[in-house]
Amino acid sequence: MSAPAKEKVYGLMAEFDSPAAILDAAKKVRDAGYSRWDTFTPFPIHGMDEVMKLGNSLVGWVALGGGAFMFANVAFLIWFSNAWDYPLIVGGKPMFSVPMTFVPAYIMLIMGGAVGALIGMLAFNQLPRLHHPLLKIPQFETASRDKFILLIGATDKNFSVTETRKLLEQLGGAQITLVEDED
Amino acid sequence: MSSNHEKKSPPLNLSGWRCVPTLLMVVGGFLSLLGLAVTWYKNTHGNVNNHDYLAEFGMSWLLAFMFFYSLALGSLFLVMVHHLTDASWSVGIRRFCEHIASLLGWPLIVMFLPIAIFSKHIYSWMNYSPETNNLVAAKLPVFTTCGFYVTSAIFFGILWFLSSRLSSLSLQQDKTGAAEQTHKMRFHSGWGIVVFALVLTFSGVLWMKATQYEWFSCIYGVYFFSDSAWIALATVYIIAAILYRQGTLAGLLQRNYFYFIGVLFFGFTLFSAYTEFAQYFVVWNANMPQETFWYLIRENGNWWWLSMILILGHFFVPFFILLPVSVKTSFKVVIPVCLWAWLMHALDLAFNIFPTLHNDGYHFKWIWLPLGTMMFMGGFLARVFVKKFTSNPPYPIRDPRLLEAMGVNRHLVNDLTPAPSTGGNQ
Repeated sequence: MSAPAKEKVYGLMAEFDSPAAILDAAKKVRDAGYSRWDTFTPFPIHGMDEVMKLGNSLVGWVALGGGAFMFANVAFLIWFSNAWDYPLIVGGKPMFSVPMTFVPAYIMLIMGGAVGALIGMLAFNQLPRLHHPLLKIPQFETASRDKFILLIGATDKNFSVTETRKLLEQLGGAQITLVEDED
Repeated sequence: MSSNHEKKSPPLNLSGWRCVPTLLMVVGGFLSLLGLAVTWYKNTHGNVNNHDYLAEFGMSWLLAFMFFYSLALGSLFLVMVHHLTDASWSVGIRRFCEHIASLLGWPLIVMFLPIAIFSKHIYSWMNYSPETNNLVAAKLPVFTTCGFYVTSAIFFGILWFLSSRLSSLSLQQDKTGAAEQTHKMRFHSGWGIVVFALVLTFSGVLWMKATQYEWFSCIYGVYFFSDSAWIALATVYIIAAILYRQGTLAGLLQRNYFYFIGVLFFGFTLFSAYTEFAQYFVVWNANMPQETFWYLIRENGNWWWLSMILILGHFFVPFFILLPVSVKTSFKVVIPVCLWAWLMHALDLAFNIFPTLHNDGYHFKWIWLPLGTMMFMGGFLARVFVKKFTSNPPYPIRDPRLLEAMGVNRHLVNDLTPAPSTGGNQ
């Protein structure tokens, strides 16, 4: 982010013809020490998650947090309304008892988990957004047809327009394109 | 995901463990016989307060029997679900599941004999006449001494037939390799799963719930089923991991096996907690004395602490440990949970069986007796299982779905795609 000219560059993108070719290229990009790069393929490729070292998404933890929050909230609400604010005897039961709170609290746990998962998903994939620099490149559309695209981001510490291009050429990537960001 | 079992470590050497089942049988058999002798003596000599000491022995034996009976039922369920869903991945673990399921034949029938002999001491309803006891009369004709033996015999007859058909057809296929056996096994699983559900429910009610014959709970069969499947999955995970590390199934089992078994184990952790809570919640909500007394007894003395241990240990501990995706393939995490599940399942059965005898809390001076019966029965059944396992191929060697189970077609696709050196820049 130091030189103003570099701000324009989003990354370098190359095209491959087969799942095996892009898997092999991905291994070499990883071994070359890059960390901010991505692949775009028409279908999931077995083993790509391991090559890219993609761990489990953190969305699950947000969902857990949302669920736990709602669970505790509803249990508190039942205690507050039934035993504290307006004590009311129903069916000879105690004012507050754990089995009583469990069913509504559990229902709201599911609700909280679902909302948490949605918010977590939107937060981690940075959606919604109106535009993405890659969508400006016409051949990017082929990633949903028959081509396998690998992109190395300009924010990577090893990124250099000339060296990274050389690496992609060595790997057998076709149509190597510099992706620019207008922002 | 972790890849701890993809490292090349030397295969497990289990030859040192070979004597363990026999040892368990000897020690457990001694303790059981001692228990029988002591309780017999106490019943007949100077029994001033008319306490039925033989019930102590009978219930301890019943606990061990129900533990291994539920394990075999759960394995039978896994085998039948494999056939009914036409699953491919579970081919590798099917053989030893069949062997555990086929313990439902003569081995568990022999183990049932002491229960049949001491039934009058275990089941108090046998001592009441239906003419004077309304609750026994309502359950005629099953709740008569003759009805008990006939029903038990029918249960064992069905389970023996079903498990031995599934097991022997599978062994037959090892020789012929024909799809015909697969179709037959699927047929037997079809009627089998329905009859299995009925037998499991009624046997759970007749053998375990009837220790407190005055009580009723409609979900008891589901509850017993969920726990059976839970304990079977824990056992399957341990056996699969041992066979994997030992090398017997090393080429066949892959990480996805352990992931799938782990996910099922996790799912049944939830399901069994759900059924147990549902039972409690309905009784709590309805608040009727003829139902609540069962739980009230279980709030006395140390039964209260056992119920707290079960809430935490039967559900919360395994649930939160197994919750993350990646731990399900990690032996170091899941195997301790599986062993823990054995303990929890035994405690859960004890929670169902023993409070009838000890209303005021468990008397720990008797703890050696259930330990002895568990050891004896575990050792005996482990010996039968090991003998069956070692005298047959360790997996269905000519099952039509075997290659699929090994993931061969998936690798074929990758092998057929052009290598990176031939494709590329034009």
